[in-house]
Amino acid sequence: MSEIKLTKSAPTEDNGEEKDWAAAKAFFDNLKTNKPRPPKPRYAVTIAVSSRTLFNMVKERKIYQDEGLEKYVAYQMEHENEPLMPGAAFPFVQALMNVNSRLRELYPDSEELFDIVLMTNNHAQVGVRLINSINHYDLSIERFCMTGGESPIGYLKAYMTNLYLSKDSDKVTEAIAEGIAAATMFTADTENELSKTQLRVAFDGDAVLFSDESEIIVKQHGLDTFFEHEKEFENKPLAQGPLKCFLEALGKLQRKFIAKNERLNCPIRTFLVTARSAASSGARVLKTLRSWGLEIDEALFLAGAPKGPLLEKIKPHIFFDDQMFHIEGAQELGTISAHVPYGIGQKYHKGKLIEQPPKKE
Amino acid sequence: MVSTIQNTDVKQKDADRAVVVAVTSRAVFDCGAEDGDDVYGVGVAFPLLQALQRVNERLLEENPAESLLFDVVLITTDSQQQQQSSRIISNTRHYGLEISRFCFSSEEDFIESLLTNHVDLFLSTDRSEAAQASHKGVFSALLNRKVASSEQLRVLFCGDAVIRPDTDSPSASQDAAQSFSAQLGEMRQRFGLLHSPLSIVLVTSRGGRESCGTALRTLRSRGVSVDEAYCLAGAPRSPFLSLLRPHFLLNNDLED
Repeated sequence: MSEIKLTKSAPTEDNGEEKDWAAAKAFFDNLKTNKPRPPKPRYAVTIAVSSRTLFNMVKERKIYQDEGLEKYVAYQMEHENEPLMPGAAFPFVQALMNVNSRLRELYPDSEELFDIVLMTNNHAQVGVRLINSINHYDLSIERFCMTGGESPIGYLKAYMTNLYLSKDSDKVTEAIAEGIAAATMFTADTENELSKTQLRVAFDGDAVLFSDESEIIVKQHGLDTFFEHEKEFENKPLAQGPLKCFLEALGKLQRKFIAKNERLNCPIRTFLVTARSAASSGARVLKTLRSWGLEIDEALFLAGAPKGPLLEKIKPHIFFDDQMFHIEGAQELGTISAHVPYGIGQKYHKGKLIEQPPKKE
Repeated sequence: MVSTIQNTDVKQKDADRAVVVAVTSRAVFDCGAEDGDDVYGVGVAFPLLQALQRVNERLLEENPAESLLFDVVLITTDSQQQQQSSRIISNTRHYGLEISRFCFSSEEDFIESLLTNHVDLFLSTDRSEAAQASHKGVFSALLNRKVASSEQLRVLFCGDAVIRPDTDSPSASQDAAQSFSAQLGEMRQRFGLLHSPLSIVLVTSRGGRESCGTALRTLRSRGVSVDEAYCLAGAPRSPFLSLLRPHFLLNNDLED
């Protein structure tokens, strides 16, 4: 899984790299506006968002699908000065910006901040509209890749990305296979009112923070075997899942607030929302987190109850789960959800094995 | 002394419309690595020439009467190679390279050969050679030493230079740069968005999104429609250059 990069800096830094960084720093410091400059990628928690997660491009997407690429690009260029409407990742991005402001107040010289990068397959001519839209909302996005059709995976690595959000599940799957935490975003059916002062992130446990080893047992041997297994192996930590490193990165930033006595006022709050039950299978999860040195602010054990109503109360800016069944439940009650296409859960829907279509050659 | 030989195997291009690209034979052929039959190895610029050729082929497919084509001139200054001028020509034939003219000159006179041949772009692997030519008003760029594609010509514009304000009146080299860019832009328009044999890439290393946005619009106003854009804002550029694999970089400071 992707290594957390908030550790000691690499011993040798290329001279050219330092020159570029120094020049960029000078550029931003010399700007007349108070625009905050982007952090050094090596130290930052980098979140890459696609254009369709950041903005609502449903209408434009339809033009692309119905009329083809050339008409789509022409349409975008004609409407270049009309800002796009916010998309699913928009509240999440605003919450990240708020955390950055708080971090800058407490640690004015630190590069340990969120770095938001726009990672899109779009053609650069469409990019002008995207830049105009970012300007319109004054989002802190200074880095981007407009690949004109090429896969973003290499560029995700070049930016040392900690989390990638996209509408395209193929790209997300590819990213996860390459060790980058990633999820496919879904808009909610309704809009819950979200906190403007605190970033709230909810995670499912199995196959998201943890590996899918236990889920395999449930699917293949049933719940009773699962309970027995978890009790027997209570003290053996689970293996890590694709989003573990992202939780770790959030934890590192949280500790910076705690170090300045801001625990009660911390602008980051994390939630575990799991179908496990506290009585039987929950202990292993908490012990695993402890063995990793990670904290989660609230752990909610549903013992199989639906997640939607609870999430509606928590109001996270984003909720990660590996099962579409839970994503749909969350969406229905207004929670912005992100599907993590990982593990055995992908082969099942509502407990039944999905028939796989014959593989196309 | 400068001498120019036309390659009779290749159809000569329209002098008014063609985009003349000069490359040194040192960059195209690896004269050190020869086997018995006087065949040279391929040099760093080899994929570039193949990519230029592919653009020409596709241009002619779109319009058999097209005159806006790449016109490649091979410059040889190495006196050793000059003596083997026939080998250079035979190797060109061997590899089927679309080189219109061969120029032989001394080290001191090579810029003269660029000027007499109305070169629009001079590509070299030698930084000082490129700087010298640029100083005399010939638009020059450094060839990317890393392996580049022969399938698609990838040209990288360094955005930080594109938007730098012209403090003095435009130099001859700046005019040449803009003229070449406009020609490239016009060539790009001959193809659709997908499957183009030519891709125009913009990278801004230092400024933020506004710098990149301005560079995109500036290039557009000069007739250059950028395909891919990357705004680094201080992030290390070498991982990106490895992924982007351009054949050459334009408007670069010729530093780094």
